[in-house]
Order: sequence, then C-alpha cells, then structure tokens
Amino acid sequence: MQLSRLLWAALAGAVMWPALARANDRVDFSTTWYQEKREACADCQQGLTVIHPQFDAEIDVGESAAFRFGYSADVVTGATASVYSVDAISTATPFDDIRHDGRLSLSLLGKRSTLTASGSVATERDYLSIAVGAAASVDLPGRNSTFALSYNHNFDEVCDRDNAMATPLERRALTGADPCEKNILRGEDTPGTTAWRELTIDTAQASLTQNVSPKVVLNLTLYGSILNGFQSNPYRRVRVGSTEPQEFVPTTRARGAVSARLNRYFPSLRGAVHLSARGYSDTWGVNSGTAEMGWSQYLADSLLLRVRGRIYQQKEAVFFKDAFYYQTESSAGAYFTGDRELGALRHFIVGGKLTMFKVGEDGAQVWSVFDRLELNLKTDLFFLSELPVNDLAANLGGVDRQFLSSGQLLDAIVVTLGLQLDF
Amino acid sequence: MDRNTPVGSPSSSRRRRHQTRTSLHRWGAGLLLLAALVLGGCGRHAVRATEKEYLADQTMIFDEDGQETAADEHVLSNREGSSGGRGSGGGGCGCN
Repeated sequence: MQLSRLLWAALAGAVMWPALARANDRVDFSTTWYQEKREACADCQQGLTVIHPQFDAEIDVGESAAFRFGYSADVVTGATASVYSVDAISTATPFDDIRHDGRLSLSLLGKRSTLTASGSVATERDYLSIAVGAAASVDLPGRNSTFALSYNHNFDEVCDRDNAMATPLERRALTGADPCEKNILRGEDTPGTTAWRELTIDTAQASLTQNVSPKVVLNLTLYGSILNGFQSNPYRRVRVGSTEPQEFVPTTRARGAVSARLNRYFPSLRGAVHLSARGYSDTWGVNSGTAEMGWSQYLADSLLLRVRGRIYQQKEAVFFKDAFYYQTESSAGAYFTGDRELGALRHFIVGGKLTMFKVGEDGAQVWSVFDRLELNLKTDLFFLSELPVNDLAANLGGVDRQFLSSGQLLDAIVVTLGLQLDF
Repeated sequence: MDRNTPVGSPSSSRRRRHQTRTSLHRWGAGLLLLAALVLGGCGRHAVRATEKEYLADQTMIFDEDGQETAADEHVLSNREGSSGGRGSGGGGCGCN
C-alpha cells in the first residue's frame, strides 16, 4: 500500500476516535467599517463605504457536539466606473447594495479530533450563493501536531444581461434597472432581458500546525480552488476599439496558494512575534507574494496590543491591459477586463488591534454571567499602488484615470469593533 | 529523449509511466519529509505538557479570532487578485 494511502487511512481513523466533551458556549459580535477613497461623481457620495456587521454563536449540543450559527451583512454605498477606459472617472455612477449571509454548522468533538459539516446561504440583488462544506482536524499523540482538512463547494448564480447568442464584442452590460428576479434560493430568468449564470466553486485546504519548541509554533497551509462558470462583472463595460461591450473573462480559473506562519513568544518581554509568507498563483496568470510581520505586547494583565505590517505584490492577468491599449490595439486574445484586482498591484497595510479581556477566576464569573469577556478595537490603513502593465511612455492616455482610485498614497481605512463572550 | 518519437508509441508510453513514477516518488519523498517534521514533535524532542504554558497563550494561537480572520479575508479578496492560505475557507461573493 502506498505511503500516501496509509497516511489517509490513519487520519480517517483518528477522526473517528471515541468522543469526550470539551465544547464552550460563545457569542461573537463585530462591526467593520471600510472606507475607500474614490473620485466623486455628481450624484454620489465620495468614496466607497462598506459596513459589515457579523454575529456568530456556538452552543453545546450534548456532551460531544457543538452547533454554530451566524449572520453577516455588507451594506455598500459609493461610486463605480461603468466603463473601463482611459477616463473611467467620467463614467462613474452611484450604486448601493445590501448582501445577507447566513451560516450554520454542526461539529462532533472527539478527544483529539473534530469533524464539522457546514452550510451557508448568501443573497443580494444580483448574486446568490449556496455553499456546503466539511472539515476535520486531528491532534497526533503528544498534542504537538494538528492536521486539518477542509472542503467547500459553492452553488452560486450571477444575474446577467440576456445576451442570447451575441459574440463577446456584442454583449451588453447589465444595468441597475434590469430585473434580477429570484425566489428564496435560486434566480429566475426574465427572457429577453436578464438570465442567471451558474458559477461553481470547489475549495480545499490542508494545514499542519506544529509545536516546534516551548515558545515556537509553526503553521503550514496548502490551498486550492477551482472556479467554473460566469466570472465577469456583469455591470462593467470595457472600451475596446470603438465599442464598449460587457467585460469578458475566462469561465475556468484554478487557484493555489501555500503559506507558512510562525509565532514565537518572548517571556521576558511578555510579547510575541508573528511572521508569515504566502505564495499564490492561478491559471489566469495572476501570481503574487505576501509577507507579513506582527508583534503582540501585553500592556497590562488584561490589555493586549498587536501591531502588524503587510506587503503584497501581484503580477497582472495574462489578458489584462491598460485601458489605452484596449482602445488602440483591441483585446489581448479573446478576453478583456477592467477589474483592478486583475491588474498589477503593490499593496501595503499597517494596523493595530487593542484587546481588553477579563477572565473569571477561582470559580467566579465576569459580571456573574460570563467565563470570559473580550472587547477588541482594530484599525488598518491601506496603501495601494496600481502599476502600469504596458509601455507607459507610449501610453498617450496615461493610467491615472483608468480606475476610480484616489491617486493618493492612503487608499482605504478599516475600523473594527468586536465583542466576544464565553459562557 | 527522442524528440521524433510519436506521442502514441510504446516508447512514449514507457516515458509517461516513468515520469508518473518519478512524480509519485517525489510526492512520497515529500510526505516522508513531512512525516519526519511531524514525528520530530514526538519522543525526547517533543514539547511536554508541562512546557506548553506559553503555547497556550492567546497570542500564540493562529486565527484565534475567527471573525477577524473572516473580515480580513473578505476585505482583501475584494482588493487583491489572490485568495486563500489563511484559516478561513474560500467562497464566492457578488461584491461588484
């Protein structure tokens, strides 16, 4: 029997080990405010604002199981460019949307293992997502090594303009006035006007967490995802030559990432350093590298400060062009896109998180109710550079107005307030 | 390698089987290396239960705040072309 089969069999057996209870009841609340600078348009507020509230609860079910449920939302308002062109700012239009996301899961808890089945439903005006997943983790004897595996499948649908048999350069974009009818879980086509396109996403992740020494822990993660279906932004047009068709990208995308993280505690300083690195690649040609470093410091017995810096750089998708070259040279092969996320980027984040916590001791509880109470305040500053991907010297239109970016170094800010309650 | 050998010929089939075995050997070597790293956590080099005081600290636990990890991934997946590699799983989003 091959070595890989032996390891899979051992993992499956460990997951099914007899159970003992160790669940805790917990409730988490948080709200994230995301503010991005964007060039204003006449009818819309300046920038892009997203409010993201989250709620999650975990409850014991018997002695060896836990039930979790949660809800989150995205309340989005701001400006978007309807046409990717040399002067996309002149095509900016206001938009707003609300996305709802509900999720639940059931976990079986063993002495050294956990098995979880999960599901979620997310809905907004023009997008529906139904996801199912499973995850397993096992601590090897000695409890110094933890293997974890997870798999997730999405049955997503995207509302699109009904373009029938139109060629890519003839396809029309969706507008906010087009109807995107749907019942509770699936979209309903409006023949001749709108049609719902399928998008399936399969995601798998494997990780190993290893205690290296009494003060050092290491995590290695392998991630893979395959997307099949409609992945264009149905609202976005691209100026290709003299036409402005709907954005057109490939229907298949395979993504992979490998990451390594390390935490090291310094008892004399009452602090810890956090290091991480990640490499990413996909079949659209987007390759990226990420490096992050952080430091956690106890300021008092119940007060913890963490600061971090993160740097990220990515190469553009093979079919991405600066807007001027789409207009003067046509598309890069069959595909064309105005998605900033598929361009060449350099991204730098600095941030900090302040945590106040109170733990019940010697049988006493916090406020006579909670085993533990934790309050978090976190903020991140985002600095983004959009890099030209074609000959800048010959680009008579320039790249400064092809996205709605602010053009200033500080691109966005995030502030999060969170509360965790353990019972 | 004989570049003139047709794809469907017996010798090209033998090369494909050799390449597959080589690939499996590399996977096996990788798994052995991984097993060696893992087993390094056992025996006299393992971290004993009495030595795990600092490892149990909240600053040493990866993705200890699940909502923070999910929110971070949510923001970054809508600003960057990459995803994955952290604690939270992937998924679709219609954030246009």
